[in-house]
Amino acid sequence: MRALRRGLIVLGVALIAGGLMKLRGKGGVPPTSGGWRELEGPEFR
Amino acid sequence: MLVGAGAVGARAARQLTDTAGIDRILVVERRRTHAEVVVAAMGSRAEILEWDADSPVPEDVDAVACALPAGCEQPIASRAVEAGVPFASSGDDENDLMGLRSLTEPARRSEVAIVAGCGLAPGLADVLARHAADAFDEVDEIGIARAGTAGDACVATATRALRDRPAEMRDGIYEESRRRGHELVWFPEPIGARECERVATGLHLLSGAVPDAERITVRLARDETGARQRWLRRRDPEGSWGAVRIEVWGRRGAAREPIVYGVIERTAIAAGTVLGVTTAALAGALPGLLAPSAGVFGLGAIAQPRAFLAELSRRGVKAAIFEGVPVV
Repeated sequence: MRALRRGLIVLGVALIAGGLMKLRGKGGVPPTSGGWRELEGPEFR
Repeated sequence: MLVGAGAVGARAARQLTDTAGIDRILVVERRRTHAEVVVAAMGSRAEILEWDADSPVPEDVDAVACALPAGCEQPIASRAVEAGVPFASSGDDENDLMGLRSLTEPARRSEVAIVAGCGLAPGLADVLARHAADAFDEVDEIGIARAGTAGDACVATATRALRDRPAEMRDGIYEESRRRGHELVWFPEPIGARECERVATGLHLLSGAVPDAERITVRLARDETGARQRWLRRRDPEGSWGAVRIEVWGRRGAAREPIVYGVIERTAIAAGTVLGVTTAALAGALPGLLAPSAGVFGLGAIAQPRAFLAELSRRGVKAAIFEGVPVV
């Protein structure tokens, strides 16, 4: 009985941790250097 | 003929008015006072037209632009096709886009072009994706993200897109996927980092523009939809800021590298400018911007990227490239 209870507690903790990770999502990697430059003609590259 | 003079339609009307070669703009808008305000602001070349989608398109119309809420585009596009008049719309509702795609055969028979998704994304983002793809020998992956909405109708469409099942294109095949939570996307400032979620909006249009891309995904930032935000949006005559980020990975020789483009602009102004320029090009007032074709297309498939970007830049909607450490 005790083992079953422990198992359920472990499962519950795992589900909560998994749910939190899912809610937090997958953070992208910030661009650590560089910046935006306006495109100019004629090539717009 | 411009159908719908809301946040995007009014800006499209301004762009059409500012285009040499557009003689007359017929504005169809069911809110009479709203139509009067827009027409008065456009000067003598604009006039109100009482018209609905049960009636044929008037004879002297050269192109039809549509900037209506979701669910209204297909009947109007059908009338345009029957009249042999090209059609452009700014809507981004996936059901509407599917409805427009169903007109492919009638449009080909009538030898007219229907250009769907002429807004920020789908729309300008597709043109930039195609422009980036043209720089590669092979295209691996295209990721588009959009933040910002133009008006209340646009907010409703975006909310629906975020509620629906997300999808992606893999080797040209549409695959639905599970919702995987949000992901941070870095847009140009002042938007900056926003949490975005995958949506299915505009995937088919983008796939038509870059058919050899192995993988295509579209993400959308969730806007606040509370009463306070709605009030703030309506109070600001310029509309809220919006942005798109277009990340294309491909191969040049042996090297695999990304090209990242971005646009930052008031959402309604950007979408209205894209719709106005596309409609003017369809009407023949801006030659060289669109490839002459018959059928249903996304903007990325029919626009000549450099010429189109040059015209938008001339009108103040400018794109930028990210230079620096690639974002993985």
